[in-house]
Amino acid sequence: MSLLAQVLVSGVLLGGLYALMALGLALVWGVLNIVNLSHGALIMLGAYVTYFLFTGAHIDPFVALPITAVVLFVVGYVIERGILNYVIRGPMFNTLLITFGIEVVLTYLAQLAFSADFRAINPSYAGSNFALAGVTIPLVQVAVFAVAIGLTIAMWLFLLHTRIGRGIRASAQNLVAARLYGVDPKRIYALTFGIGAALAGVTGGLYGTVSQINPYIGGPLTAKSFAIAIIGGLDNPLGVIAGGLVLGLVEALTALYFGSTYRDVASFGVLLLVLILRPKGLLGRTT
Amino acid sequence: MKTKAGIVVCAIVVAVLAALPWYGNSVMVQFGISVLLLATLAQGWNIIGGYTGYASFGNSVFYGLGAYGVAIAMVQLKLPFWVGMLLGLGLAVVFAALLGLAVLRLRGHYFAIATLGLAFIMTAIVSNLEIAGRNIGLVLPLLKSDLLFYELALALLVLATLTVFWLSRSRFGLGLIAIRENEEGAAVMGVNTTLYKVLAFMLSAAFSGLAGGIYAYYITFIDPVGVFDVALNVKMIIMAVFGGPGSVLGPVVGAFVLSTISEVLATKVTSFASMFFGVVIVIAVVFMPRGLADFAERFRRLRLRYFAENVRAHRL
Repeated sequence: MSLLAQVLVSGVLLGGLYALMALGLALVWGVLNIVNLSHGALIMLGAYVTYFLFTGAHIDPFVALPITAVVLFVVGYVIERGILNYVIRGPMFNTLLITFGIEVVLTYLAQLAFSADFRAINPSYAGSNFALAGVTIPLVQVAVFAVAIGLTIAMWLFLLHTRIGRGIRASAQNLVAARLYGVDPKRIYALTFGIGAALAGVTGGLYGTVSQINPYIGGPLTAKSFAIAIIGGLDNPLGVIAGGLVLGLVEALTALYFGSTYRDVASFGVLLLVLILRPKGLLGRTT
Repeated sequence: MKTKAGIVVCAIVVAVLAALPWYGNSVMVQFGISVLLLATLAQGWNIIGGYTGYASFGNSVFYGLGAYGVAIAMVQLKLPFWVGMLLGLGLAVVFAALLGLAVLRLRGHYFAIATLGLAFIMTAIVSNLEIAGRNIGLVLPLLKSDLLFYELALALLVLATLTVFWLSRSRFGLGLIAIRENEEGAAVMGVNTTLYKVLAFMLSAAFSGLAGGIYAYYITFIDPVGVFDVALNVKMIIMAVFGGPGSVLGPVVGAFVLSTISEVLATKVTSFASMFFGVVIVIAVVFMPRGLADFAERFRRLRLRYFAENVRAHRL
């Protein structure tokens, strides 16, 4: 029983990070209609930025997150204005392929600059934990969960209530109408991609505190981000929280009952089921 | 007349390629086998991706099933290679039919991602199957005959290309193009879209599966991560899109050109080779998004304006 409780708790805590991980992908997808295959590579870059701020400048990883976000925002903004902007109206294959190309280049450059070694962000409090009703809860994972969920909700409020947020939502709903109301789509697209990259960067920083990083972590994280975005649906930014928690729990329970080798079967099996049965996501409107 | 001249040129190219083992060295033959298999995969993807307009990431699954069909037949059941090829072909085609009925209802990105998810699932499932040697893989009997594998791969590529040539001028192929351009419109015009899409998926799977079967016996060792590799699927898409999706020869030319450049780079500047694909994709998608086939057709008239027009057409 307590083992089950332990597994459920770690599944939920992981789910929070998953939600934030998918948020940037879902945002870019919803607004630019691009599935960004380089999302995982941006997460990887964010992890390295946080890692070097911690080991080089001794900045606490959680304090370093805003710096990571700014750095990745700039990276994302430049990628959008410099490359994606030129293919944005092309066919779907092309946008998919070009982001894959960017992923390959980023991964290669990371491997060149940082080597393929495994690294981890280990602050002094990394091992601390507390017990609650017989369940051991690692402090860092709680902090990661809190930051991730907090940022997801903050992002939702930003989209709902700010001028830029309204511009982003308007561009996602109807670009022509948004243009007529004075939204500059070039600027909004670049901002959105920048924000998506910044969210990926923060995810990476948090990921580095709970897991090891190397230049190749991007691919599987992109695939999982898809799964979460699909499960949660693209209509509502809070959908990713549902998607993240579902995936975190499914993975934890599969690892408990079937063994960790079946974890990917379960998470992508859920993805396939959701796609076939409810293509708009669990919370999405069915039309 | 133009088509006839094209057929003669193609026949000569095939003859020159078929004779390669007699005038080339063993390195050229081995490189040839891998290029021919990649070109077959690109051509197979062309049927579902280029003609029908469904960006499949599941073709590497069919490739893996074909490879495991041969491996399981030869290692576990002690059957000859040919039976293994049939088993692999059957596995790939049946799987494509079942999967197609479920996921071909999805459009655009959703279809792409469903098939991508499937690729991850298959790796994990096969890694847990006793008969498939779990995650350790299977070792096939060794047959040192690069000549046989080369000619087999060439024959398969010719068959795939002839099939696509037939598609380009048959009622079935036109139905697929109609689905790509406007699925509702195609349905209204009397195209049985579900049947056509599933058949195209099965045809695409057949060539991927057969290529996987040849690869398994040639390379003599397969494991789940190696043959269900999503990167291979991305490679076939890049080759097909670079060459010209929805054309008869584009994917083959794309595979030959990209493999050759990548091979040359790998020997000259090893460290850059892995990044090469990334850079080529980015540049090709920006400047010639419709591939070499379209480039060859329109560059003569437009010259450098060709690139400018492409960029202008797709930028915001």
